[in-house]
Amino acid sequence: MSNHDEPLFDDGETKQSIPSVAGRIRSLVKNQPYAVLCVQGEGQPYGALVAFAFSEDLRHAVFATPIATRKFRLLSECNRVAFVVDNRSSHAQELMAIEAVTATGRSVLLGRDGDFDRWADLLVGKHPYLEAFVKSESCALFLVDIVRFLHVARFQEVNQWIPTGHS
Amino acid sequence: MDSDRPLVIALRDAGNCDEMIIGGKALKLAQLAAADFKVPQGFCITTWAYQSFIEDNTITATIRMELGRKSMDDMRWEEIWDAALRIRSLFLTHSCSKVLQREVDSALQHLDTSKPIAVRSSSPSEDAAGTSFAGLHESIVGVTGKTAVLDAVRLVWASLWSDAALLYRRELQLDPEQSRMAVLVQEMVSADRSGVAFGCDPRTGNRDLAIIESVPGPCSLLVDGLCDPDRWKVDRESRKVLEWFAGERDLHADKGPLLAEPDVLKILDTLLSIEHRFQWTPDMEWSGRSESLTVLQARPVTTGTPDTDETRQWYLTLRPSDARLRKARRRVAEELIPQLEAEGRELAAMDLDACNDRQLAEAIEQRYAAVEKWKKIYWDEFIPFAHGVRRLATYYNDAVRPEDPYEFVALLQNQPLIAVQRNKAIAALANEVRLDKTLHNLLDELLTEHAGALDWNSARDMFARTSIESIARFVCEFERLTERYLDIVYDEVRLYDTTESLLRNILELARVDGEPANSTASSNSVKALEQRLLAAVGNDRHDEAKDVIDTGRVSWKLRDDDNLLVARLESQLLRALEIGVERLRVDGRIEGKGRPAAKDAESIARCLRDTTATPIQLHASPAELTPSAPSANAGETPRQLVGQPASSGVATGSARLVQGSEDLGKFRRGEVLVCDAIQPTMTHLVPLASAIVERRGGMLIHGAIIARELGIPCVNGVRNATDRLANGDLVTVDGHLGIVTLGSPEFDLELRLDISQARKRVAPVTRCASYLFVVLESIAFFYGLQLV
Repeated sequence: MSNHDEPLFDDGETKQSIPSVAGRIRSLVKNQPYAVLCVQGEGQPYGALVAFAFSEDLRHAVFATPIATRKFRLLSECNRVAFVVDNRSSHAQELMAIEAVTATGRSVLLGRDGDFDRWADLLVGKHPYLEAFVKSESCALFLVDIVRFLHVARFQEVNQWIPTGHS
Repeated sequence: MDSDRPLVIALRDAGNCDEMIIGGKALKLAQLAAADFKVPQGFCITTWAYQSFIEDNTITATIRMELGRKSMDDMRWEEIWDAALRIRSLFLTHSCSKVLQREVDSALQHLDTSKPIAVRSSSPSEDAAGTSFAGLHESIVGVTGKTAVLDAVRLVWASLWSDAALLYRRELQLDPEQSRMAVLVQEMVSADRSGVAFGCDPRTGNRDLAIIESVPGPCSLLVDGLCDPDRWKVDRESRKVLEWFAGERDLHADKGPLLAEPDVLKILDTLLSIEHRFQWTPDMEWSGRSESLTVLQARPVTTGTPDTDETRQWYLTLRPSDARLRKARRRVAEELIPQLEAEGRELAAMDLDACNDRQLAEAIEQRYAAVEKWKKIYWDEFIPFAHGVRRLATYYNDAVRPEDPYEFVALLQNQPLIAVQRNKAIAALANEVRLDKTLHNLLDELLTEHAGALDWNSARDMFARTSIESIARFVCEFERLTERYLDIVYDEVRLYDTTESLLRNILELARVDGEPANSTASSNSVKALEQRLLAAVGNDRHDEAKDVIDTGRVSWKLRDDDNLLVARLESQLLRALEIGVERLRVDGRIEGKGRPAAKDAESIARCLRDTTATPIQLHASPAELTPSAPSANAGETPRQLVGQPASSGVATGSARLVQGSEDLGKFRRGEVLVCDAIQPTMTHLVPLASAIVERRGGMLIHGAIIARELGIPCVNGVRNATDRLANGDLVTVDGHLGIVTLGSPEFDLELRLDISQARKRVAPVTRCASYLFVVLESIAFFYGLQLV
């Protein structure tokens, strides 16, 4: 009886398994179609909503943008990016039920040869209505090497997950 | 008033109302009134009024935040109580609308307000047939005046979110968006006899019988368990009284039955009439005899399976009335604690080395029995008395309505707790070390040279060799300290045997870079808070308020002391076991190198008595054999852990886990104390800590109150805190918001990433796209435009 003051509701609580953060991130990025892409340039941060898809191992994300855009220009100058994905639209009245994930990484512009088709198919697979857009000559496809995820739940509960290979 | 959504309805007009609007209790009474049963006059404040109140004051979102702070399944009962207290405070600090105030004022004019009024909960989900959650919500009796009625209404509304209701949240389907509470306001009926009656035997469900109970006075005497009732078993068919059981009442001079047979039969007739009229077997509260018999409440009797969740049932017993608390205070403070203290002292004084093996075996058995006895008393009587502090909380908040619902905690400070006295004695020794350089250096040398293997006897010899008076005094005071306060068990180890840890703590406290944290509460601020409460309750209730404060303080002090006193008793058992084990080891009758624990008492005593008994196996505990594996998933690390903001302030430091006696001496000044729960046995570390993180949650637990007293940030209720934090982790503890942040907000991985590897995947942008971009950019530049 080391702790006399521990009367109840605790059996099984103290050592319960922590739900997998990776699993929750996977579920969120799989179920949410759009993310806020955060870029920077000329000392100015900038955000834009993009359709995205993640690779199965969550180490890469892909998105497309017309080349005549501010984000394309900023990405050409600085490839450090962040993605914010959340489910707030499903829980407008329930702050505590909202989950969000911020993924950080570096983007690379994919050329039309090489892996372009593979990543384009991944994006189009998730967003079939964007096929023409993605494959348009004036559209650029960016691949993001994800360095880490920061998952937020219950307003303030934050966990970091680093996909294998970056730690 | 919106006629489609009335805020107030007279009871006599409510017989055809929807239960969702006036609640089950009010509806049944309204139906009884409509069917000419005698019920007290009254009116209902509808669920529309509740809804309007929470919408006007945007309370729903705050309730959601409160209940969503962490999974309710992860909340300890103390955290549930805390959440309920904060919600209650929310209701108390917001006003009822002017419209409702007018409606209530008008309805009260139809009642006899020269007598006290009862304000009772009438939840739409409370009295559903087949399930009963009676008692989970609040009812307030003896209310006088419109303002007091409106105050009581808000308290009843708040009780929709009471701690007890939250325990049954699933069964009640509690939902901040959907759940509603109606309130019944009635004249109180005063009679010389009241009671309860059941249309069947509620324990067995036997429908041939009716059961009637009566007390001499108001029904609350029975419902609150303050008076043992007389009880009648009546045959429903023949209307014959089969048995009468007299209640055990000290002051009941007349030993005859409280009710004459015609009174009993009148109650039976009423039960049967209700059953006939409404087609359900009633469970009825009544008051008055013969023609003045009044039905206070009736609902379908519940004979279903009782709640099998023992922890919830146990918790519900922890809500004694004021009278019971006073009784508990006398019993705990005047009888039990002195007995426990005396027993510990007596056992500590016994010279066990002088005992032969048989006597030692007897001593072990006696001590084991004593520990078991006091553990039971601890659960049955000490823990329920902890409610004294909670009673003070609600009493203070109801009267003062402070912005901070924990303002009352300052009233508990500066109490002469055993742990506080011990900590003061430790601090005084540390001060001596701080001021005496020779002593400081000697202690430092000693602890460096004998790290992990310091034996107090040799240390004392070494101190004695210096022949310095101040050092001799230190030795003397240190020994007095350990004798008086360290003869306790923590983590199955006698702290008396771990003097090295305490010496290290003293040296750490003595470090010259500033004073350790001290109590922030001045006696003036405590006095001011007392005055605030007394002014709020008014002159007529000064004695009552002082009694509640005193009971709260005694409850707080004894609930801390009892832990140490039981730990002292455990220490006496462990001392006897260790001597026994030593003897058996010498005789080669013990196998294994483990330490004895209470569970070994029986076998060690048997072996000491019987030299032919099989040798005992004493293995090291599993924790000693195998270090626990890290539980986190690969690549996952917490960045921000959320708990309860238990003491305000922000501090950053290196985490130090204290999980056992061996960790006590490792604690360094400025570290963040991370533990499962701060116990009275280890509170002397708190002044060294820059902040506290605990797995156990609650605003009134030891760690939270001590942290508040010393002004140290504390976040508790952090799930798996000791698994998720490790020694040396840089943590920032935000005691304002209840957040623990790990590490600094860096981007080292992002900056380190080798981009050349990533570039391998990149082919040049297609000529067309590249050309198009250059063209567009040139055009944009020419026209002074920005690309979007």
